Amino acid sequence: MKDFHIEQQTRDNVQLVKLTGSLDMYSFPRLEGQLSAMFQQGHHRVVLDCRDLDYIGSAGLGALIGFAKEAREKGGDVKLLNVPERIYKIIELLGFTKVLQVHDSEDRALKSFTT
Amino acid sequence: MNTPKHVRVNKTTGKIKIETPGDGSYLAYIRTMVTDLARQIGFPEAEVAKIEMAVDEACSNVLEHAYAPHKEWHWQHREPEIRLEVHTEDGRLVIEINDHGQGFDFAKYQPADIENRLQQMAQGGYGIFIMRKFMDEVQYSSNDQTGNTLRLVKYLKKS
Repeated sequence: MKDFHIEQQTRDNVQLVKLTGSLDMYSFPRLEGQLSAMFQQGHHRVVLDCRDLDYIGSAGLGALIGFAKEAREKGGDVKLLNVPERIYKIIELLGFTKVLQVHDSEDRALKSFTT
Repeated sequence: MNTPKHVRVNKTTGKIKIETPGDGSYLAYIRTMVTDLARQIGFPEAEVAKIEMAVDEACSNVLEHAYAPHKEWHWQHREPEIRLEVHTEDGRLVIEINDHGQGFDFAKYQPADIENRLQQMAQGGYGIFIMRKFMDEVQYSSNDQTGNTLRLVKYLKKS
């Protein structure tokens, strides 16, 4: 069980945010704070790299949908990258993949903002 | 895994009792304990992931709703606490989650249409839908003596 932490960098005018650990109701406010700060600075193009994510709960998923909706209204989006198969199956079963874009290549995720 | 401070655990074969303070920082520990037992008794990883999410939703609901600071509850003088009892019986994993917070009329609760909520990109209201979708039985009871108990059951299906 890894402690939750967030690393952020900018690539091609997109905020690439690497998530490690578990995203549950306890840890989510940290990501929420970081996404809110990015939006306040006008950065609405966000890719969340989930390669080292162990778990995501519905509070986190629901809030990510909210951020994606807000970002789309400003011409951006919040997209998921490298979602582990175990998590992907769960979010697909629940229908979240119908509303959140999921990519398995960083290049394609970054380029998807320009196409 | 080491037991965190302020957590009481009693483990016997095929059974665990866990008592944690009513605080979100213990959710990861609860998930780990329950998923470890689910794997030990033979659930495939895809089902373990569903059990993990259902338990997390249940405990998160206790923290967010049963122990909501603005609500009144019978045992306000006691510190918030989550008590879990997890055991196996007749090829089933039974998880009972007990709290002494605000009760809830579970039987009358009708979750909103999830497809619709997703299309509207609604942020919340998915927890009970997830429990019902991922577990084979979901029952809730509440009374003044024993508090609120949510019982989640998952069948270990033989292939």
